[in-house]
Amino acid sequence: MPKVKIPRKSTIVDMTAMCDVSFLLLTFFILTAKFKPQSIVAVDVPTARSTKAVDNAITITVNTEGKAFISVKEKSVRFAMLEKLTEFTGDHYPGIKGLSKEQMEFFSLCDTWGSPIEETKRITSMNGLEFKKYQEEQMPGIPCDSTNNQIGDWVMAARYATNGDIKIAIKGDKDSNVEYVKQVIKRLSEKDIHRFVLITSLAAPSGAGEVPATETPAEK
Amino acid sequence: MAQMETGGGGGGKHNGGVRSKKMSTRVDLTPMVDLAFLLISFFMLTTTLNKPKAMELNMPKKTDNEEEKQDVGECQVLNIMLDTLDQVWYYDGLKVAGLQKTTFAGDGGIRKEILRKLKAVPTECPPGKKWVDANKDKVKQPEEITMGPRDAIILIKMLKGARYKNMIDILDEMDITGCKIYAIQDPDPIEIEAVGNGGVVKEFAKEVVTN
Repeated sequence: MPKVKIPRKSTIVDMTAMCDVSFLLLTFFILTAKFKPQSIVAVDVPTARSTKAVDNAITITVNTEGKAFISVKEKSVRFAMLEKLTEFTGDHYPGIKGLSKEQMEFFSLCDTWGSPIEETKRITSMNGLEFKKYQEEQMPGIPCDSTNNQIGDWVMAARYATNGDIKIAIKGDKDSNVEYVKQVIKRLSEKDIHRFVLITSLAAPSGAGEVPATETPAEK
Repeated sequence: MAQMETGGGGGGKHNGGVRSKKMSTRVDLTPMVDLAFLLISFFMLTTTLNKPKAMELNMPKKTDNEEEKQDVGECQVLNIMLDTLDQVWYYDGLKVAGLQKTTFAGDGGIRKEILRKLKAVPTECPPGKKWVDANKDKVKQPEEITMGPRDAIILIKMLKGARYKNMIDILDEMDITGCKIYAIQDPDPIEIEAVGNGGVVKEFAKEVVTN
């Protein structure tokens, strides 16, 4: 009597399709991932519990020496910001008036800016190498004294450029003197800007004081 | 790993003439898939973890308009001062003489004091009163109305040379304890002196403050 043959089925699964899918995903993630831009100003931000993300902001970076730098993510906003700044402060600072198209383009390619307004023309006519050296060695920061409130001018220009739809983020170094940050806040308060976001990074779960052991009475 | 050999290898059972082995053109893609998924997880994790976070800070606006001003009772206030040595100093209301020192430690530190204040103020402080001039036509006299229960107000004062990290820590503490009303101010000379003396307040200062 012939036995009923049970056809042997291979357990090999064709991996090609899975491979396709996974590489597709991989490419997608690689392409959409934005690497942390190489920041010229090294700042070690403090940790906090907050988990709100920052988007659409003009970031004022204050380093440990108290120098202030501004950065805006979108190139178009940077361009518009410079136009507005020229429009509003051109009479005050001759160094920004009459920038050529190339100079404005040059400005809008820099994601971090930290020079006095009156030097804009000189800096935007540097060549790549000169500018790199300038950025690394001698960028003086944006003046934010009570008599020379340029940081306020920049922020106002950014607000005009985006019709007020921009947040003002302050990024300070955790070990820097608080006076530097307070000074920036004070300068902006003079321009009637009272809402800020302070950039922090998410604390490690074991961080001191971060354990939510005590529930807030407000939540009960 | 993910598969089992079933076909019995390259067909070596048959004896006979030398046959060239039929090589399968199939390549085992399992390791490649493994690798791809490893990379995917790496990219997913690093991209989401690198985003900066932010904490909101609203500074008070200077105003001369009386109606925008808020009346603050002494018993509502908790003053917190932060110094250069990461220490936290605090006192209630105007009683600088009661200055005490604490730390940022999880439960026993300043958080305990903030929670105590938040709990005590609505029950212990008498509700505030406000003069309201409802119809501004001067026909009706302005009347005094009683406001609802008060909330604690925390005044944060950063002493000269304090680290920025401490400011973030105390603001974080406000978030953790759910404190709604707080402000960052400049310290008074009396407070600077008291902290400078290690918490000892001179006699004259006590008088000035309690008067």
